Amino acid sequence: MSLTNVKEYFTPSGKDEVLELLQTYGDSALIVAGGSFVHGLDARDLLIGIDALIDIKNIGLDEVRNTSEGLSVDALVTFTELKKAGEIKDRPEFGAVRDALEYPPLQIRNLATIGGNIASACPYFDVPTAIMALDAVVQAQGPAGSRTIDLQSFFAGLFQNALETNEFVTGITFPQLPARSASAFIKLESNANDLAIVNVAARISVDDAGVCQAARLVVGGGVAETPVRAAAAEALLEGSTLSEETVQKAAEAVGTELDPMSDHRASAAYRLAMACTLTRRAVRQAIERLK
Amino acid sequence: MKKLITLEINGELTELSVEPSESLLQVLRRQYGLTGTKRGCDSGGCGCCTVHLDGKAVYSCMVFASSLQNRRVTTIEGLTGDGELDPLQTAFVEKGAVQCGYCTCGIIMTAKEFLSHESDPDEEQIRHAIAGNLCRCTGYHKIVEAIKTAGSGS
Repeated sequence: MSLTNVKEYFTPSGKDEVLELLQTYGDSALIVAGGSFVHGLDARDLLIGIDALIDIKNIGLDEVRNTSEGLSVDALVTFTELKKAGEIKDRPEFGAVRDALEYPPLQIRNLATIGGNIASACPYFDVPTAIMALDAVVQAQGPAGSRTIDLQSFFAGLFQNALETNEFVTGITFPQLPARSASAFIKLESNANDLAIVNVAARISVDDAGVCQAARLVVGGGVAETPVRAAAAEALLEGSTLSEETVQKAAEAVGTELDPMSDHRASAAYRLAMACTLTRRAVRQAIERLK
Repeated sequence: MKKLITLEINGELTELSVEPSESLLQVLRRQYGLTGTKRGCDSGGCGCCTVHLDGKAVYSCMVFASSLQNRRVTTIEGLTGDGELDPLQTAFVEKGAVQCGYCTCGIIMTAKEFLSHESDPDEEQIRHAIAGNLCRCTGYHKIVEAIKTAGSGS
């Protein structure tokens, strides 16, 4: 286990210190927030060559706040704290986030952070699927300053994010969505502690006449190396009045856009079938929340 | 490189020398002999290592000891300050919710936080709250009864 080979555990107190440490240690450094996935990384041999852990809990990135760009969630906000945030609790467009945060057990919710969860670029997680449906973007800090990375670019591959070696995630931002928007997320799991067999997030935005202006259908939980947007299925919903028939067609279309794996959790065929079922249910739930 | 940490464990301020990768679970059992907190999966899934960190239930196997400067840890041994049993512990005993005992301390720590912000929960709420704690002996029935009893204040 490479974790025992780690030589240093740093607890910097500001962004500049973090950047200095990243400069010094480069690829042999790992940023740690809640730390709930470090063992998961180690078990997958992803800590080989890591000499230094850089714990960023004390650099003051722990707020949820409304900005002109939208709802900003700092990297160190825990799942428990995010669950309690007023906007997340009350607004229909954040339904998917609420749903996703119900699944992890209490002990994980108290430790896991939004920054760590997203930075892990783990396709088996739930929160990435949910926030992708809301067009969330990642805020990253480097020596040259900060930059914004859209999620699809950020998730570059299996456990690979788009950060440069000297950058770290400082938060995510949910952009302002159209006024009548609602979302939902469903995870299919065989027990309360496991990663998903498959998960789906659906977000719909409608105009005053109830015509769908924008739809997002995201499938994750390990159907590919990153969460996947089912664009063809989305296109079927957009411009429609979201009739039962249309929703059914879109759910079936999701199946044509996926090529999941078979593993000890489920066969590819089962994942495919369940992705369609969950899509139908998540869209229906989002429609309910519009009312 | 070892680091020196000052933290509070069960109400007492203490100084600790830790390796970078050492977990809170390892420190509690090896350096303090607080063996009420158990080691099961050591990877954040079974819950028998559950303690409170600043009042919140966490898996101690995934908390780095090096991150604990000025933090407050409570283990099962520190649940009550005065040697009396917590109502949850009494309920577990009276309801017969303890068999081998390995999961017990972790579940009680989880339930303790849960009951601190949920009064008189129903069965479904309780089962959802302890989803992060596994028991191989009891089938959970008596555990849920015990938590329900403690939660209703009866």
